[in-house]
Amino acid sequence: MEALGINLNLFLAQLINFGVVVGLLWVLLYKPVQKMLNDRTARIEASLREADQVKQQLAYAKRDYDAEIARARQEAAAIVAQAQDRAKAQEAEIIAQARREADRLREEARTQAAQERDQMLREAKGQIAELVTLTASRVLNAELKASGHDKLIAESLAALERRN
Amino acid sequence: MEGLNLIATALAIGLAAIGPGIGIGIIVAGALQAMGRNPEMENTLVTYMFIGIAFTEALAIFGLVISFMIAFGVIQ
Amino acid sequence: MSGRTRAIVIVVVLLAVAIASRFFLYSGDPHVEVAAEKLFSIGGFHVTNALSTAIIVDILLVVLAWLATRNLQMVPRGLQNVLEIILEALYNLLKNISPKFINRAWPLVATLFLFVLASNWLGLLPGGSSIGPCKVKEHTAARLAVVQEGPRAGAIALIPAATEKHNPYTTCPEGTTLVPWLRPPSTDLNFTFAIGLLSFVFFQYWGFRTLGIGYLSKFFNLKGIMSFVGIIEFISELIKPVALALRLFGNIFAGEVLIAVLTFLVPLVLPMPIYGFELFVGFIQALVFALLTMAFLSIATTSHEGEHHGDEHAHGAEAAQSRAH
Repeated sequence: MEALGINLNLFLAQLINFGVVVGLLWVLLYKPVQKMLNDRTARIEASLREADQVKQQLAYAKRDYDAEIARARQEAAAIVAQAQDRAKAQEAEIIAQARREADRLREEARTQAAQERDQMLREAKGQIAELVTLTASRVLNAELKASGHDKLIAESLAALERRN
Repeated sequence: MEGLNLIATALAIGLAAIGPGIGIGIIVAGALQAMGRNPEMENTLVTYMFIGIAFTEALAIFGLVISFMIAFGVIQ
Repeated sequence: MSGRTRAIVIVVVLLAVAIASRFFLYSGDPHVEVAAEKLFSIGGFHVTNALSTAIIVDILLVVLAWLATRNLQMVPRGLQNVLEIILEALYNLLKNISPKFINRAWPLVATLFLFVLASNWLGLLPGGSSIGPCKVKEHTAARLAVVQEGPRAGAIALIPAATEKHNPYTTCPEGTTLVPWLRPPSTDLNFTFAIGLLSFVFFQYWGFRTLGIGYLSKFFNLKGIMSFVGIIEFISELIKPVALALRLFGNIFAGEVLIAVLTFLVPLVLPMPIYGFELFVGFIQALVFALLTMAFLSIATTSHEGEHHGDEHAHGAEAAQSRAH
């Protein structure tokens, strides 16, 4: 035993030494590291859960957003349709008004022209009658009797009208 | 006496190495075969392979220790 | 230069260095001592170099632990990260063997691993076995003995015992021998038997605690053939701490001797791959010590009926697997 170096004192010294190291490392290394590993596991799990939650919230938000967008799009479409309708109605009204105005103006111009023509005709008739009377009086002069005078005028006028 | 001591030293470790040599060969062969058939078990198999090798090797180590004892005059 | 020529040149250079080192770096007979050597004594207690190295390992481990854990970060970096990776890998490995007892055994088993690993690797430090004080060899000191020959044969006198050949390549004077400062505790039987016994007491304690008095029926029972098996198991149980201690001692001490002898034969080149191999062996032996402690704990806390249950589980797992395939 002596030659192998086995010695009770040294044996006990090594045993105590090793026991002390076990205790020291337990306090200094294993406990904190184990705690840290557990903490980390817990934190990772919590983060994963949180990430899931956030993802879910995001999904909800996306759904809300999509719904909102769809509604807005519908509304916009409705507004555009309404605006188009109104514009169409307005257009039709404007066109109708313009047409009416044009009709009115045309009618006015027509009536005016007719009036002017009538007046001109009347004036011309009067002048023609005067001219005929004058010419006739000049041609016939006094030979004509007062009784056949008016009759002749009426005949000339009728012929003139026919020619017109 | 010195010559006999040398012979005893050599015989102690030489004879002690025969059995464990064969044994470790069988263990590793079995472990490799198992790993080849079932690669996903590799980690467990390597652990148990080393435990098995340690057990087998201990026999050779006993022989080695005896041979040291003879060589360094601890036992005569 | 092609790859082949380069390889040839490298081999030739290595061979030349190896042969040259045999002549220029020859260091005399290898210094090998089975027992740890005494360095100094405190109040009659002799401190050996293995014990002082064990204390160095203590300091190393405690300082490392303190440095790694003094400022624990959620996101590990540097030393904390390294230690966490090692401990987590070891924890998962040991959990495979005995998931039920891992948390109880963890402090002991992890310290076994770290301490033995540090101790094994410390022995590989260059200079570890060649720097130290010169001490008068214990058994080379003069002693009282019967004079065998000469004119005073038969008389009792103070004579020098058969001395070891003096190594002229060391700086130590004649009659003294170099005692290295560093000697890995794993190469001291006191240390290996201490941790072997500690491990033995630990798994016996948990065996009793778990199975109660029924634990003894594993070894001593009157169930026919099982009683003989029990006796054999009892002997193999007693061998366990011895095997643990001798395995560690034998592997690491043999590694040291191998390196010493190879350095004596060819100082350079030849020991180099052996250093790599001894790094591996040191790691494996540390791991095996922890694994075996865990395995023995697992065996000690399993009753024979329990083993049966285990078998059923194994069959169940097999069936499940074949179903999966």
